[in-house]
Amino acid sequence: RYVRQLQRLQLLFSPTAADARGAREFVEEAAQDFARQHPDVVLYVSPHSGPGPAPVLRAEYLNGTVRDELIASKTSEEIVQLATKLANQSGLDIIRIRKPFHTDNPSVQGQWHPLTNKPSILTVQGPRLQPQ
Amino acid sequence: VAKTSLTSPPWPEVKLPDPVEEAKYHAEVVRKVNGLISAGEYGRLFAVVHFASKQWKITSEDLIMMDNVLEAECGDRIRMEKVLLVGADDFTLIGRPLLGKDLVRVEATVIEKTESWPKVNVRFWRRHNFQRKKIIANPQTVLRINTIEIYPCLS
Repeated sequence: RYVRQLQRLQLLFSPTAADARGAREFVEEAAQDFARQHPDVVLYVSPHSGPGPAPVLRAEYLNGTVRDELIASKTSEEIVQLATKLANQSGLDIIRIRKPFHTDNPSVQGQWHPLTNKPSILTVQGPRLQPQ
Repeated sequence: VAKTSLTSPPWPEVKLPDPVEEAKYHAEVVRKVNGLISAGEYGRLFAVVHFASKQWKITSEDLIMMDNVLEAECGDRIRMEKVLLVGADDFTLIGRPLLGKDLVRVEATVIEKTESWPKVNVRFWRRHNFQRKKIIANPQTVLRINTIEIYPCLS
């Protein structure tokens, strides 16, 4: 019952740019293997011809966050590693998290308060208090 | 001999009960707990598990984050051994120090393997013209605890 949080991966690169060589090799060789290994991720390859923006790997997650990673001047193995890393992530922001755990039901036997494990006041015998 | 302030220790003296009676009491408690477990009358179970060199107090459906890399892929079910304590509403099972594997079963799923937020590691020596800056992003794994089960085989 596991749902991968990555929706789609868009590979935007231009086939003539010199720094998109790794992206081109990735598309030729490793893209099919990657798509087969991760059947629940959709991989779009959109080459835009001519000099355009830098080659970018764009990841969209199920909660709407879009993450862009530059793939200029990277080898195809590095791009594969980047893609697997993005596929394993979820769309939450990468900021400092305060606690490494999260529970919806923190206490099972009742939360401790200073009056647990103390004898009841009603049975105290004093000069004026009588047990009821 | 006269009683001074140091003849008896300052803590109240505790008399231990009879060992025979204590054994009978133990057997009855064990029988009751076994009956409760086999009847299934416990609600939520919590467990204390030793994992990734840390001890976590976990219930079902809660999230845990490790600062390391597990060898399991995303979506794999993992069974956690090294359970130290299991408790429910009325009773607790305490292990010395571990509980048996045929008693408790804790299952978890690997949800995500990300990196931490980029931490900056700067080394600086004053008046020595020494500055090094490094950005560190540790790999992290997020697990979700699916179930905690106990089986009625106490002794």
